[in-house]
Amino acid sequence: MEEPICILVVDDEKGIREGCRRILVAEGHKVDVAENGKVGLEMVKNQHYDLLVVDLMMPVMGGIDMMGHVKEIDPDIIMIVITGFATIETAVDAIKHGAYDYVPKPFTPDNLIAVINRGIETRRLRLQTRRLMEERDQKLLEIANEKSKMHAIINSMADGILVINRENQLVLWNPAAIRMLNLHEQPESGRDLPEVIKNDGLLRVIKKACSPEAINYTSITEEIELPPPESKTLMVNVSVIRDDESGQDLGLVATLRDITSLKELDKLKSQFVAMVTHELRAPVSAIEGYLTAFLTGAAGNDPQMYKQMMERARQRARALLELINDLLQFSKLESKSAVRKKELLDISGIIINTVELLKGQGESKDLKFEIDVPESLPLIEADKTEMEQLFTNLVSNAIKYNVKNGKVMVSAKPNKHFLDIKVADTGIGIEADCLPCIFDEFYRVSCPETRYTTGTGLGLSIVKKIVESHFGRIDVESTPGKGTTFTVRLPIKQRK
Amino acid sequence: MSKKTKILLVDNDVDFIDLNKTVLENSGFEVAVAYAGREVMDKVKFEKPDLIVLDLMMEKHDTGFGVARALKADPVYKDIPILMLTAVGSETGMDFSQELDGYWMKTDDYANKPLSPEELIKRINELLERNKKA
Repeated sequence: MEEPICILVVDDEKGIREGCRRILVAEGHKVDVAENGKVGLEMVKNQHYDLLVVDLMMPVMGGIDMMGHVKEIDPDIIMIVITGFATIETAVDAIKHGAYDYVPKPFTPDNLIAVINRGIETRRLRLQTRRLMEERDQKLLEIANEKSKMHAIINSMADGILVINRENQLVLWNPAAIRMLNLHEQPESGRDLPEVIKNDGLLRVIKKACSPEAINYTSITEEIELPPPESKTLMVNVSVIRDDESGQDLGLVATLRDITSLKELDKLKSQFVAMVTHELRAPVSAIEGYLTAFLTGAAGNDPQMYKQMMERARQRARALLELINDLLQFSKLESKSAVRKKELLDISGIIINTVELLKGQGESKDLKFEIDVPESLPLIEADKTEMEQLFTNLVSNAIKYNVKNGKVMVSAKPNKHFLDIKVADTGIGIEADCLPCIFDEFYRVSCPETRYTTGTGLGLSIVKKIVESHFGRIDVESTPGKGTTFTVRLPIKQRK
Repeated sequence: MSKKTKILLVDNDVDFIDLNKTVLENSGFEVAVAYAGREVMDKVKFEKPDLIVLDLMMEKHDTGFGVARALKADPVYKDIPILMLTAVGSETGMDFSQELDGYWMKTDDYANKPLSPEELIKRINELLERNKKA
């Protein structure tokens, strides 16, 4: 049921007040009365009324005065004036002061009801208008908010976005798209697409998405290459927007993603796989070759020659095992970065033990070992197994690439915030142009002296990875024919 | 007695060279060797081989392609047939195909490693035959 209309009747004549009340209550309205403007105004302040019926001439506060105040409180209230001086002047004056209509005294109930009903209708319309206006304002505000939200989202996306209408005009884009396509100026909305975008690949994908054959797809994804100077690879996804009912194309949305670095990673991975394949095949084919030659007699009939061949085959088999171990170690280092088991370590023991263990390998060359490592060193935070691996690789290189009667010198000492560990040899040394490559995977310096030395080409890559995962650095100095010195610097965690 | 056919073996794998040098010598060839791409030009000038067996991927910055290109660009040496060997096939995603290389001649050949000594000798002889006719 509808809310009853609330009416306030203000008149100093009790007869009129009560008469009006009776008539209006009988019409189903809720009616309050007041005997003068001041009392009436207080009531308007405290309670909501739809209509005000007010006498113009009253003691304390007259109708004109009261109407002025009431309008400030509720501008939509319908005010009807009752006047004894039913002249045009007073009526006009009252309407000037905001009255909706007037009822001249004396009046019949029907006169009053007719005016009141018109007033109620007007009140209803006024309220509705106000509500609609408020709703509209709210909607406009929401739209503005949504728009700025959308704008912010689209503009902050790392992926580029292009929106194209059915006339093939560019209507929306974001800064990422401008950046990726390297459009030097901001395009104007509504420009023809080929005028703005010069990349043939992108235009081709968009054209393909619009073609009749594309109707079966929801979107098309392709890679496009940007020519130099950009030299980027973009993944383009074009979705056609269709009207659900008519099935008509409304336009399309193209998203662009820069996958240049992913492609590079992919290429690195392929190269790595190719190198591993090569490195694994080389020893196996050497062993296979020796065995075949042995079994077929292809190498002649000198038993000494065959003995040498078998010895080489054995060395290559051992090197292959080493390579497999190094590869496992290598992949472990690659995947372990997050779960390394670091503890506070005094690595003096590790260094000394490593050298002791490896000394045997230097016997055939009569190497001398000089160890200058104090019994206790400041503590570093490190993975023990990896530290053993690190010094094993460095010291065994120092032995492997040494000369007869050479020396291997290992020293460790604190240097400010770091621990400096030096592994030096008096071996064959490394040519300056080879030095930048020695930490690369599978790189091996090729020179006549090392032709028969087996190695995996991974030892120093592993060393570098370990040092870097411990926030240290490794430096190398070398003089061909004199020797090589590796210096590992690891951060000190705690002094004793 | 006719002069022996001279083969230049180029590979960074010392065992490949040692083994095949022995095998080829036992089969009546004369053999010269080079262990790195950068040694090849000097060896070719000095040894004047009748055929070169060239490993494709010797070192990162020193591939057989570079050597082959240099040889094929040289008017004096461009006719020496090359048997290119590789241990890395297309299955790794790296393309090493002679079709990609404009310098490749139809007088040359291409083989995958590992390659048995008999197969190597067979390929060398085939290539020498083809070049005799050409």
